[in-house]
Amino acid sequence: MLVISQSDKRPIYLQIMEQIKRRIAVGDWAEGHPLPSIRQLAVDLQVSVITVKRAYLELEREGVIITQQGKGSRVTATAGIGLKLQHEELQKHLEQVARLSMLLGVKPRELESRLREVSDNITAKEKS
Amino acid sequence: MNGSLVRHMIAKDFRLHRELIIISTVVGFIGLAVVQFRGLTGLFGIIGFFTTLIVLACILPQASVVMDRKGQHLTFLMSLPISATQYTTAKMLSALGMFLIPWLTLVIGALSIILGSDIPDGLIPIALVLITLPLVGFCLMTSVALVGESEGWTVGVMIAINFAYSLCWPLIARNNELRSGFGSSTPVWSPTILTLLGSEFAVIAAALAITYYLQSRKRDFV
Amino acid sequence: MMDPVIRMEGVRKKYRYFALDNIALELQPGQIMGLIGPNGAGKSTTIRILMGLVHQDQGDVRVLGYRMPAEQIAAKWEIGFASEDMRLYGAMTVRWHMDFIRSIYPRWDEKYAQLLLKRFGLNPEQRIKGLSHGQRVKSTLLLVLARCPRLLVLDEPTTGLDPVARHEILRELSAVMKDEGRSILFSSHNTHDVEQISDQITFIDRGRIIDSMDKEAYLDRWRRLRLEVPLGVELPALPGIIDIRQDGRLAVATANEFVPDLANAYENTGARIQSIENMTLEEIFVANVEHSREEVGA
Repeated sequence: MLVISQSDKRPIYLQIMEQIKRRIAVGDWAEGHPLPSIRQLAVDLQVSVITVKRAYLELEREGVIITQQGKGSRVTATAGIGLKLQHEELQKHLEQVARLSMLLGVKPRELESRLREVSDNITAKEKS
Repeated sequence: MNGSLVRHMIAKDFRLHRELIIISTVVGFIGLAVVQFRGLTGLFGIIGFFTTLIVLACILPQASVVMDRKGQHLTFLMSLPISATQYTTAKMLSALGMFLIPWLTLVIGALSIILGSDIPDGLIPIALVLITLPLVGFCLMTSVALVGESEGWTVGVMIAINFAYSLCWPLIARNNELRSGFGSSTPVWSPTILTLLGSEFAVIAAALAITYYLQSRKRDFV
Repeated sequence: MMDPVIRMEGVRKKYRYFALDNIALELQPGQIMGLIGPNGAGKSTTIRILMGLVHQDQGDVRVLGYRMPAEQIAAKWEIGFASEDMRLYGAMTVRWHMDFIRSIYPRWDEKYAQLLLKRFGLNPEQRIKGLSHGQRVKSTLLLVLARCPRLLVLDEPTTGLDPVARHEILRELSAVMKDEGRSILFSSHNTHDVEQISDQITFIDRGRIIDSMDKEAYLDRWRRLRLEVPLGVELPALPGIIDIRQDGRLAVATANEFVPDLANAYENTGARIQSIENMTLEEIFVANVEHSREEVGA
């Protein structure tokens, strides 16, 4: 079930795209899985058809889904699309971290060591 | 022509105002019944009977026509597949129909009483003229309510008509030609009587025709 | 391309203190159009002209192919109209109104009507005068929805309603759109509702249409840029920018025709871009109205 958040300031079509990608990333929607029709999703989410259309168009442009005339849309049957999306997600977070560090004046080497520290802490917690 | 829709609208009005119709018919009947008694009681009967008709002639256009605008029901009605002219038709027919029920009942009742009792039949023509007056007033007020679009107009016309009613009694009483016919045991249809009756119905016809014309020309109906 | 469900061209209407000037809009089948504008902008008048309740002085109006107001009877068989100033008969029950409408329209869906009664929390045996404002609005909408008309024209369907009632109504309006043969035109102050469910947005102010277009494309044209400006420099108004507020070294520029080049252009003037934000329809509404009034020399 996709849910649109009102407090999320981003455009609705982006939220829809992100939630669809997340479903694919966690494996709920496997390769080739059919997506709900544009109208059905619009009705379920109570958003305009044009917004869902845009989300689907952008997803197709990014190669995440494939739309066939008269047959609807489905998740791309590319092997490892789920994994690919997860890596994209990671990349986005890394870019955010990098930008924030630059703003604060944290040098790359310091960033590296801090990242290692955080990673070690998490691994330690999970072991216990 | 949207016959069935106009019928629905008329039936709706009858349903909405049925209490009013029933009560006025009953009260009018009571007045009629009392007319047969001599003296003051008989007079009360006559006054009561006429008052009922006059009051109904005032209230019905208010309740049915003015309320449509004031109560904001007109927009609801005009959202139905109906034109302004058809709305006017439905309104006129339902209003007339609702008024005619008590009116015809009381006319027939009054005629029966005069014919059946020892009240001279010579009173029948003038009685008809007088009983038709509220009908004329009613048609005028319904027309004004439809065209005028505001309470102000109907109240103004109401005052004018009631004023005219009050003038009628002394005018009739002073007309010797009419008075001569009162005592006879057969109805006398003098030219004056016929002119009076004719004018009443002419006014009704004119009011309806003018109303239709003006309503059809409105460009901002709602 | 199918025929538009609504087409207004060159529509003009003059009143004593107000005039509609050159109104033009078009609604394609299967779409929802949100009509927004300040109070007194002309939304209700436009809608009444659409329904044939008011005759335009000039201009062509076609709804579902029918010329208005001449062919309004035929059109109204297929249009469901509800407006904020409409009132049902206080002395009668909800059920009486349902039966009245059902006796007129052949496409009345009684099963759907029952479902709506439940969803809206309405008691059919209750008299209209005993209902709250929200319940009355929902009753009026039920009468219009249960007929399954091809076109819904709604003048402020959610005004004055509590959030739950608003949500119930939006849900039903969205459900209508499941059928791509049906369309909706609604006017609202509530920019959030319009932003969420409209496919097309039409902006009206002081009797004139300011904008009428695809919602996504429209929202995409607007941005708020937050910039840091070197001391003593005044930020220039570039094409596509309709408003600049500057206070010391911080400035906020509102763009109504944003392209990425705009950001570059500002950086070339020495300003540093802190952020580029999307704007909500409400923010666009206010900026748009203020801007258009300035232009007209209000």
